[in-house]
Amino acid sequence: MRTTLLKASTALVLCSSPVLAQNTNWDEELGDLAGTTLAISTITDPFIDSMQRTAPNFEQLTGASVQIEGFGYDALHDRQLLGCSQQDGSTDILVMDGIWMGEFVEAGCLEPLEDRIAQNEEQIAWSDFTDTGAAQASWEGQRYCMPIGIYYGLLFYRTDLFEQAGLKVPETFDELKQAADFFTDNPDFPGVYGYAMNNQRGAAAGQQYFEWIFSAGGSPWASNTLGAEDPYADLTPTMNDKTSVDLVQFFKDMTAYGPPGVESYAWDERATGFANGSLAMINDWSVRAQIANDPSTSQIAGKFAAALMPHAEGAQTVSPVGGWVMCLNAHSEQKDAAWDFIRWFASPEVHRQYVLEGGPPSRVSAMQDKEVQAKYPWTVQLDQARQNAWGDVRPRHALTFQMIDVIGTEVNRAIIGEVSPQEAMDSANEQVTQMLRQNGLLAN
Amino acid sequence: MSSIDPFVERGPKATALSASAPMRRHQPRLWSGDRFQTGLFLWPTCLFLLVLTLFPFIYSVWLSLHFVRLTALHRKVWAGLDNYASLLTDQMFLAALRNTALLAVSSITVEVVLGFAVAKVFYELASRKWVNGLRSAYLVPMMITPISVGVIANYVFNPQLGVINQLLGAAGGSPVPWFGDPVWARISILLISVWQWTPFVAMLILAGLMSIRKDILEAARVDGARWWHILFRIEIPSVLPIIMLAVILRLIEVLRYFDVIYITTRGGPGDRTMVLTLFTYQQDFQYFQVGTGSAAAVVILILSIIVTTFAVRILRRIENA
Repeated sequence: MRTTLLKASTALVLCSSPVLAQNTNWDEELGDLAGTTLAISTITDPFIDSMQRTAPNFEQLTGASVQIEGFGYDALHDRQLLGCSQQDGSTDILVMDGIWMGEFVEAGCLEPLEDRIAQNEEQIAWSDFTDTGAAQASWEGQRYCMPIGIYYGLLFYRTDLFEQAGLKVPETFDELKQAADFFTDNPDFPGVYGYAMNNQRGAAAGQQYFEWIFSAGGSPWASNTLGAEDPYADLTPTMNDKTSVDLVQFFKDMTAYGPPGVESYAWDERATGFANGSLAMINDWSVRAQIANDPSTSQIAGKFAAALMPHAEGAQTVSPVGGWVMCLNAHSEQKDAAWDFIRWFASPEVHRQYVLEGGPPSRVSAMQDKEVQAKYPWTVQLDQARQNAWGDVRPRHALTFQMIDVIGTEVNRAIIGEVSPQEAMDSANEQVTQMLRQNGLLAN
Repeated sequence: MSSIDPFVERGPKATALSASAPMRRHQPRLWSGDRFQTGLFLWPTCLFLLVLTLFPFIYSVWLSLHFVRLTALHRKVWAGLDNYASLLTDQMFLAALRNTALLAVSSITVEVVLGFAVAKVFYELASRKWVNGLRSAYLVPMMITPISVGVIANYVFNPQLGVINQLLGAAGGSPVPWFGDPVWARISILLISVWQWTPFVAMLILAGLMSIRKDILEAARVDGARWWHILFRIEIPSVLPIIMLAVILRLIEVLRYFDVIYITTRGGPGDRTMVLTLFTYQQDFQYFQVGTGSAAAVVILILSIIVTTFAVRILRRIENA
């Protein structure tokens, strides 16, 4: 009875999916995996709930048991990489940030998927993944993972407050400042602050620098220019040039429009502040729109919208891309079963189902799906963002994590007024140069 | 002394004894000897120390002499003392050193002063039955795992939703950016440390106060001593060795203080709450730069040995005085 119901529901999903989906009969495609337990480690971002709601279908199709374990950002990185350095195969599937790719490949954590994908090319429909999302899942021309949680940076704003104020949605840094200033300490908008950025020391502030630098008209290192064929050809840092220093000054200026303690805010504090109605605007990864959209946890459900992130005067918006890719642990002892899960989960039809459950759309077909757009209106802006995004906004080489952390510490020092933006970025530039040289990524 | 013990009796006396009373001489067996038995009991400990202490230490020293990442151990490059030299110029390491010293001095000072006051209150109320329950309840903070303390502190000090700012707001005060402001972040860490560890210091001092002979105190009172005379001339001198012991134990604890800072401030804002253990953890298990991390760990070990040796000497001097 249970199996019949499952087959019926799977058939329903398949029928409602785009053309690609009709080719795969997962009931026949997947073998009997009864007695197999697949362990997945992932971030505790909002999409973990969507994964947990989608995975039981695989369990019912195959008889396997799927255990999804969530961790915080730093903890996940440390755990996965430490496990890998000990050749630990207890976690079969690693859901990791695309920017860790170089580090994980260097450590031998990832089983290359090139051959497996080639055998299932049509079923996987790789070209349907967003270009920049697909780039996050690859390294040095080889496909290592499947992009299942691709994010784009967007500006989120309160439609009710903007309508009441009669303000236009900011498109430039100056307009953003003016709008943030307008809402902060405004008696007409009690308890509302204008804006909150990712100022927390370490990864949060470091990633913020990379997310904004291209929209500020700059670039973090010599060969990383928009559309560059090999962004890693020359890693000479340019983080202390005028554009970078002005950008850090902009971050510091924006703290005037945030709640007390905004200097230690990171992703979750901002998303929570926006959802509880105390922030008029935030920029954030698209996945966190789900927090504001959930009426059970948000006071602003239905009262917000998305726009492209602002840019500096004379520059253009370059949407940051990030997000999570699903990879096969090179040390897993159940690689075939794990691959079955990965290709099933990332397939167009299951991906659509997962997106409708709140997962981040990582395929063009899912982004342009009318039902998805109707359910999650910001998907329209997401589709625009993907078209002006740059895949290497953040570095992805083996020293990425350390580099972002070091830069984030210096940016935070400038934000709290410990040093000037110029001093902070001089120090960041020097430390990054030394780090790259010491590890052979930059010539002496 | 047994006259027939072949291991003990040697020489002319033993010869005479054996001649006058012919007895069967037992050949000593290897496993029945004292030295063998001593060795037998000691080898597990020696092995334990060798495998779990000595080998990791030597391996750490060896790693500290290389440029090496944990994820690419095969690509080691000999660095000599370069990792140690770069630590001395590393602003973050130096900040961690300063912050650890600052935290040690400030938290231990506050804990000793507060701990003495609390111990004195418990001491004066010792005759009341209900005090036993209160004393046990007071020990709860030090029994909570540091990770849990960090998580609880994150909620309590949250600038928007935290209990403290809610109370401040209700009292008409302004919210405080606890972990976001350089000064308040240090104060927050100090408050958490004091909250968790004052009970430990207080209980040690209480034990010291309770061990003071009652007749000495009564004699002092009969001689007309006031409370401050008793406090400064009898009680404090009597518990001084115990206070020093508490200081040493807390010093060791502060040198490895990690969990709460890792959960709450992560060393920030800037480098204001960075401590030595967090610095080492970051190098080893976040950046996977095990060469630098091992060098920092060796430096912490050397510092710990110096500090505790110095403190133990002072303790002995006080005890002998």
